[in-house]
Amino acid sequence: MLIVSRPDRTGPLARAAILCGVLALAGCSSTPVEERTDLRDPYEETNRKVFAFNMGVDDYVLEPVAKGYKNTVPDGGRQAVSNHLRWASMPSTAVNSTLQGKFENAALATLQFLVNGLTFGFANLAGDDEEVTQEDFGQTLAVWDVPEGSYHMVPVLGPRTTRSLGGTVVDFAMNPLRVFGTGEVVQTVNTARAPVGAVSFRARNFDAFNNVKYNSLDPYARTRSVYYQTRQGLLEDRIAERAGSAVSEDEFDSLFEEEQN
Amino acid sequence: MFRRHLIAMMVAAVAMLPLSVTADARVTGASTLIDTMIADLEAFLATDTGDTDARAAEIDRVLSTYFDMDSITRFSAGQYWRAADDTQKGEYGTLFRDVLCGTIVRNFDQLNGLVYTPGEATAKGDKFVIVSGTFTDTTGQRPAVAISWRVLTREGTAPKLFDIEIENLSLLVTQKQENVAVIRKNKGDFGALIDAMRARLEAPVHTGS
Repeated sequence: MLIVSRPDRTGPLARAAILCGVLALAGCSSTPVEERTDLRDPYEETNRKVFAFNMGVDDYVLEPVAKGYKNTVPDGGRQAVSNHLRWASMPSTAVNSTLQGKFENAALATLQFLVNGLTFGFANLAGDDEEVTQEDFGQTLAVWDVPEGSYHMVPVLGPRTTRSLGGTVVDFAMNPLRVFGTGEVVQTVNTARAPVGAVSFRARNFDAFNNVKYNSLDPYARTRSVYYQTRQGLLEDRIAERAGSAVSEDEFDSLFEEEQN
Repeated sequence: MFRRHLIAMMVAAVAMLPLSVTADARVTGASTLIDTMIADLEAFLATDTGDTDARAAEIDRVLSTYFDMDSITRFSAGQYWRAADDTQKGEYGTLFRDVLCGTIVRNFDQLNGLVYTPGEATAKGDKFVIVSGTFTDTTGQRPAVAISWRVLTREGTAPKLFDIEIENLSLLVTQKQENVAVIRKNKGDFGALIDAMRARLEAPVHTGS
């Protein structure tokens, strides 16, 4: 599956996925270097099997549900769901921004959370929420120079590096909404958030997903490439800046080396 | 002592002058290339009837006029380009262009209703210029999309487009990594990539929507 966003992971589905991920990691054996299609992917053989499983989940659950969601829920309703999902990630963004020394972003995230909390995040009362850069614990670990580790395809959750998977676990455990959300309604919303987030994300990127899924030469390899580039953009805050290039210039050296030979 | 420093700084500034002039010219050339291409595409979209063949012909013309297809083709095969023989290179070049053209034509409707706003242009090293911009949907149904055009600006040749990055996602790097994965999965056989591309072109297009 191709989830590269950071939906909130508070539900039992997410819990099961993390558990499956850890078990899968424990059970996977390393692919020899000469058989890897990318050096960052030592567990490629296992990862491809998990990817096939995730594609099956997408075939039978996510894609049809996202298609129905896209076709039946009006734009305003889908926007409200997106707003809520973004709002729910603000506490995590505030904590992680503080841990990364991005105090302005932390303050903005806190403000957004408090103001939009009046509508439980479904309406955006605080103006341009694009000003806040979403931050997760995986990004915090990167700022702390924790090595990226290997590439993993996690059941249901999709691609992660070892570092970002660790971040996912910590974000899940630290989510303040789980700590404070004791009411029945709040708990229900918390539980529903992960699957709703997955459907919302799939619906928003429906055509792009399907292009990778149905029209790629190797959907697994394409997903891996997209994941690494997207993650790099997030780590460098380039998504927020919406400028420049996330690709390392070294990537293009081969073009000119070729010409010199 | 002060005078010696001043002279050294002036010499350095004079020495840097041709470099910055060249960089400015490259940046201007790259920006003009993108502006011209966008104007060209807008003119086509204004009279577009939805005819697939006409769209394919237009995309083919745009690729030939504005893109450095030779460099793109070579880069997209990664280090395995060297291992390919001349026949394979020719065959791959044709298939790659067909796949690219087909992908753009398939997604052509997404261009409708978009307005392009140019952004900054910056030289990257001595060969590339990144021209940034934003596509905004006039209907407001889709969020604005940030785009970066990577233009190859070689000395003595006209600037040509080399790569497009959408929301920081490089289309060419993604394609290259996928192509390399296909070849590596087949133990370095370049022919396997050609077979996979041919199979993809012959397979029915499925959008799932």
